[in-house]
Amino acid sequence: MKTLGILFLTACILTAQETPDSRERTTSRSKVLELAGAFANDGYKIRDGYWSGVLEPGKPQVLEVNLFSGNAYWFCAAAVAPARKLSVTLFDENGRPVEGEIFQDGSTAAAGLLPDASGRYFVRLELVEGDKADFCLVYSYK
Amino acid sequence: MATEPLTKEQMKSAVLSDAVTIPSPGEFFSAMDDQGQPNWTQLYAPKSAGTTASREQMALMLGVLVADGYIAVEAQDGQGVKNTGKDIINLAKKLNVSQSVISRGNSINDFAENNDWSALREELEATQNEVKLSMAEQKDKDLVILVTIGAWIRGTQVASDFIAKNYSPGLAGLLRQPAIVEYLLDELGKLPDRMQKQPLVAEVEQKLRDILNLVHTKDRKPPAPEAVKDVSATMDSLVNDIAKGNKEQ
Repeated sequence: MKTLGILFLTACILTAQETPDSRERTTSRSKVLELAGAFANDGYKIRDGYWSGVLEPGKPQVLEVNLFSGNAYWFCAAAVAPARKLSVTLFDENGRPVEGEIFQDGSTAAAGLLPDASGRYFVRLELVEGDKADFCLVYSYK
Repeated sequence: MATEPLTKEQMKSAVLSDAVTIPSPGEFFSAMDDQGQPNWTQLYAPKSAGTTASREQMALMLGVLVADGYIAVEAQDGQGVKNTGKDIINLAKKLNVSQSVISRGNSINDFAENNDWSALREELEATQNEVKLSMAEQKDKDLVILVTIGAWIRGTQVASDFIAKNYSPGLAGLLRQPAIVEYLLDELGKLPDRMQKQPLVAEVEQKLRDILNLVHTKDRKPPAPEAVKDVSATMDSLVNDIAKGNKEQ
């Protein structure tokens, strides 16, 4: 996909110019785009916006999102070393966990959902194994 | 082991980010496609930006145009996408955005030429994000939320008009977005006083409050037909005021 190609190229240029911290974040973004790209092959459109930051053991981070019934979603996350295992969990507007598909592979993870109602949902990202590391999360829909 | 629910504290302290918390117009329209199969060619009635010296009004209009771009993509109207892309870039130039944004216009043209609708959806969002980044870099950070609001208002106007004419609980449920309206109102409340007092910005804030009452239904029930008509009328007048230009500042 052309846009993804541009993003990877941009990531390479930024890596050459920026500090070690931002370089790690760029790497986590590249990793997560690689994972999300697999879903794009199944017709999912990747949002250009992303959420990034630092994840620490025992300190999960929660993101608020707004989803539409009728769409299918995948929330993909990746972290760089020394993170070893991530988990992504989805919750409804009352904070109850919602059932969906789960993908987990080392420091990348994803959760898929077909919302039964439109509205507010929460995405919890947790470092299950490993140490403090940069992460990046993107989502896609179809 | 069963997953524990989130605590109230965790929900209250959840991160809200313009880039991921607010759905793109394309996401909204994709859900409409699933629930109601709108005729996007009929719904594509692009707005032209009126003459104005107000940067706030230009930022709101930029958002309106981005949403128009998504409608043109849904209608698979290549020329429409090119025209709207040109309008976006022309307006962005007036806001002194960077050269990188302007070069996006060429990409939009290329993708439209090749009927690459999927790439166009991504490119439109990328253009919008690059405009926002450029605004933030030029100390125009306060305008960023107005671009988001403009796009949301235009998307909601088109959706509510269609839903009012083709009401079903499933479609109306798509308008139940109180968390988004609350977020937009919170962000408007953070703007400098001089901006909040501008008539158009004050009008946007008042009408978003009106909308919040209409879409804040209990137990996830969809808004009633009358409420959808009221949302449509409110959004219509707002989009017209954003587009007409020369709004007294």
